[in-house]
Amino acid sequence: MSGILVVGDGPAAHRLAERLRGHGHTGPLTVLGAEPAHHRPLLTDVVAGRLPAEAVRLPPLPDTRVSTGTVVTGIDRARHEVRARQGGTETVHSYDTLVLATGARPVVPDIVGATGGDGHLAAGVTTLRTASDCARITGETVVVLGGGPLGVETASALAARGTDTTLICAHPHPLHERLGETCAALLTETLEQAGVTMLGGRTVVRRTPDRVLLDDGTNLRADTLVLCTGAAPDVRLARAAGLRVRTGIVVDDRLRTSDPHIHALGDCAELNGRAPGGVDTAWAQADALAAILTGHATVHRPTPTVFRLRTRFADVSCVGDPADFDRPGARTVTLTDQANRRHARLALRDEHLVAAVLFGVPEAIAALGIAHRYGRPVPSDLLGLLLGPPARPAPVGSETDEDALVCLCNNVRRPALVKAWQSGARTVTALAGATRATTGCGGCGPLVARLCDDWEHEARPAPERAR
Amino acid sequence: MTRTLVVVGHGMVGHRLVDRLRSLDTSGDWRFVVLAEEAHPAYNRMALSSYLTGRTRNDLALADRAFLDDPRVDLRLACPAVSADRGARTVLTAHGEHVPYDALVLATGSRPFVPPVPGRDAGHCFVYRTFDDLDGIRRAARRGLPAVVVGGGLLGLEAAHGLSRLGMRPHVVESAPHPMPTQLDAGAARVLHRGATELGLDLRCRTAVASIEAHPEGTVGAVRLTDGTVLDCALLVFAAGVRPRDELAAALGLERGDRGGIVVDEYCRTTDERIWAVGECAAVQGRCHGLVAPGYRMADTVARRLAGHPVEAVGVPDTSTELKLLGVHVATFGTTDPAAGRAVEIVFAEDTTRYAKVFLQHDTGSLLGGVLAGDTGSRAELGPLVGRRPPAHFERLLLP
Ligand SMILES: Cc1cc2nc3c(=O)[nH]c(=O)nc-3n(C[C@H](O)[C@H](O)[C@H](O)COP(=O)(O)OP(=O)(O)OC[C@H]3O[C@@H](n4cnc5c(N)ncnc54)[C@H](O)[C@@H]3O)c2cc1C
Ligand SMILES: Cc1cc2nc3c(=O)[nH]c(=O)nc-3n(C[C@H](O)[C@H](O)[C@H](O)COP(=O)(O)OP(=O)(O)OC[C@H]3O[C@@H](n4cnc5c(N)ncnc54)[C@H](O)[C@@H]3O)c2cc1C
Repeated sequence: MSGILVVGDGPAAHRLAERLRGHGHTGPLTVLGAEPAHHRPLLTDVVAGRLPAEAVRLPPLPDTRVSTGTVVTGIDRARHEVRARQGGTETVHSYDTLVLATGARPVVPDIVGATGGDGHLAAGVTTLRTASDCARITGETVVVLGGGPLGVETASALAARGTDTTLICAHPHPLHERLGETCAALLTETLEQAGVTMLGGRTVVRRTPDRVLLDDGTNLRADTLVLCTGAAPDVRLARAAGLRVRTGIVVDDRLRTSDPHIHALGDCAELNGRAPGGVDTAWAQADALAAILTGHATVHRPTPTVFRLRTRFADVSCVGDPADFDRPGARTVTLTDQANRRHARLALRDEHLVAAVLFGVPEAIAALGIAHRYGRPVPSDLLGLLLGPPARPAPVGSETDEDALVCLCNNVRRPALVKAWQSGARTVTALAGATRATTGCGGCGPLVARLCDDWEHEARPAPERAR
Repeated sequence: MTRTLVVVGHGMVGHRLVDRLRSLDTSGDWRFVVLAEEAHPAYNRMALSSYLTGRTRNDLALADRAFLDDPRVDLRLACPAVSADRGARTVLTAHGEHVPYDALVLATGSRPFVPPVPGRDAGHCFVYRTFDDLDGIRRAARRGLPAVVVGGGLLGLEAAHGLSRLGMRPHVVESAPHPMPTQLDAGAARVLHRGATELGLDLRCRTAVASIEAHPEGTVGAVRLTDGTVLDCALLVFAAGVRPRDELAAALGLERGDRGGIVVDEYCRTTDERIWAVGECAAVQGRCHGLVAPGYRMADTVARRLAGHPVEAVGVPDTSTELKLLGVHVATFGTTDPAAGRAVEIVFAEDTTRYAKVFLQHDTGSLLGGVLAGDTGSRAELGPLVGRRPPAHFERLLLP
């Protein structure tokens, strides 16, 4: 069996290694990672103080040589070798098949005073990508810059831990392009109610210790400035090696780069002109590449993913592309309920969902997400689905029917969780380990926690029965 | 002893009132003096456009033989009321007669609003409300020549369609961002815009008429818009809204609404217990209504009251409307302006070909009303669902 060498140790690399062994790859398997493997979506839970920093570490990989703290510095394609540096020493690693899983790097905007003379971020300024970044967010007053998902999630997490938080974004509202005007405005409203000061239509132009200056002249206190200003595929190695690169490392439907011995996947890869990023994409590509490299599959066909905002204050999710709403031939359904803070916008073609933006309608997310992913017809009573039954208090636990889908990202249904519980997984972490539920977008975390609680109560013998 | 009801105005609502009271008044208590400004008995104003395309005055008449021959009815055509005296309880006609009344109903309707643009007195500039107006339009219309309609509301679009059926090439000028701004949102208006364009109407929104230029012989020749455009124009129709005809309020010392109209209570009575106002001239609790359905409700209420029957308040009128353009379906039903934040708003749309927006009560989920444009379900199918939770196949009803 030929040797597979993976550069980068993020979720993509991690899942790939695991699946390669699962598919029976018996040859050498090596992962070279600059840092330990992280499940980054949980970082904002660390920021909020809901999880300890260790919780975001991915579990150790069996039967894999993982070399942590190893930075790959170059690829010699002719000799099928990579050069790396570990601490002070140079190492060389040969490969039959090389996989680039170098992920993405935060984009740092041009703000006077944000970077030091050495090009590194100044003290009191940070991006959020690793567990140690979480510890860099200190002080009572924090300014978050960036109106994307990460900006919103970080600001929510900070507000939840009681920090005086301001979110600054260039559009009037965060996630403006993705959600559309009405929905994005609802998000602003909700975050404001959660205690975040929202400053839309602005940006930070200058930072001095403890303060930031905005383009409209506003001057704010900021013990820490958190930059959530996007990420760009890390293509440095690929470019230096002469591989084809656009936004990301260009790959074909076999996840192959322009060199047939080199593959790329995850946040660093560009497939069909898109480098969308995200763990769902990384995992799907890892699953596919493992099958391709072991001869179990020939091509990767991406399935649509669901975007779900990770904040406790609002249930926001999207499928499809915002541009799908304006394409000719689409039928749209838009629901706006200011009183109950609900909004839904769907683009349909015949009975099929093309795109959706959903706010405050958690019941609809799973059903529509599944319909979208598998191209199934949407329910004919869309309104019933979106509106749900007339508002009445639901008894705890009753809204999940026996076979309900709990974790959309990992396609975990309730029976799988019951089975795991019965075989001894009695905490959220244990259930997550056994089923993968909660390890995707994390949106089902509260539900799994509640199921866990319920089952524990059921399991405990009631006093009457004890008699 | 018989009592005299004087009705000022023989329009749609005034006629309805007299006709109703005639049939309710089985013991013959009432006689009627109807003072009509127009030279024709009441006719169906809503169907006026069909008069341009061949229907006759007789086709549109509302008053039948039995009405016209009824000895209790003294209908005086081309005999407008010019003043009145509450103390003496008389109405003065343009012919100088003082007509005494026991009860007086004002049913004077509205007058078209003509915006104060320079040149508006040029020849071949019309309003669109009466047989006489349409006779003038028909005489002045020239096939193949451009015309301008000022106002892109229900009436303006209908007038433009009428002109295009006379062979003219109408432009419609609307100052709002889209046509029918009172009834429609931008989405429904897009569907309307497209349909109207296909009918040959040239809609120009977000601009207004700045001035009207006349040919040397005095008829209109061109229209200059505020955006600088100059449109050639052989005939012009003002359809820029209406104002209630409340002139008699002054002579009678009756209160007028903030936006005009004779102020009445929810039974259409003024502060003088012998005087009533119905139809478009009445400001029921301060608000005038420019549609026939609320007018008819007012007429029925007053007729029952005068006949001594128990009555219900006029209440919140049904303001549902339907645009009568061939091939462009635009309608509203139920409530379309629910209190902000109290309703769930749902829009079903497909390209610019169809659009349906409905409002549901935010707590109970029952249907309040909606806007329909293009190839959607009809007002007749959806109207009856108001007040109930929509059925499971609701989307199919809206976008069949
Ligand atoms: C705070 C945060 C929250 C997020 N939340 C979500 C979410 O809720 N949902 C979601 O779908 N996505 C989320 N993401 C994005 C998600 O984390 C990424 O899509 C995912 O991590 C991509 O995995 P990857 O393995 O491709 O890349 P990465 O996770 O970026 O891993 C790449 C690894 O390669 C290493 N590396 C790079 N170059 C070299 C080299 N030359 N030598 C050695 N090692 C190298 C890097 O150090 C890194 O550890 C979030 C990201 C962040 C930062
Ligand atoms: C072209 C057109 C289309 C329409 N389409 C619709 C439609 O589809 N649906 C709808 O609901 N409504 C429609 N309307 C509006 C509808 O016609 C009016 O709401 C209705 O006619 C109002 O009735 P009214 O009796 O209050 O007023 P009018 O019908 O205007 O009658 C008032 C009468 O009083 C007369 N008068 C005024 N002052 C005096 C005076 N001092 N002395 C004597 N007589 C006087 C006037 O000359 C007039 O004949 C349309 C109107 C027009 C012009």
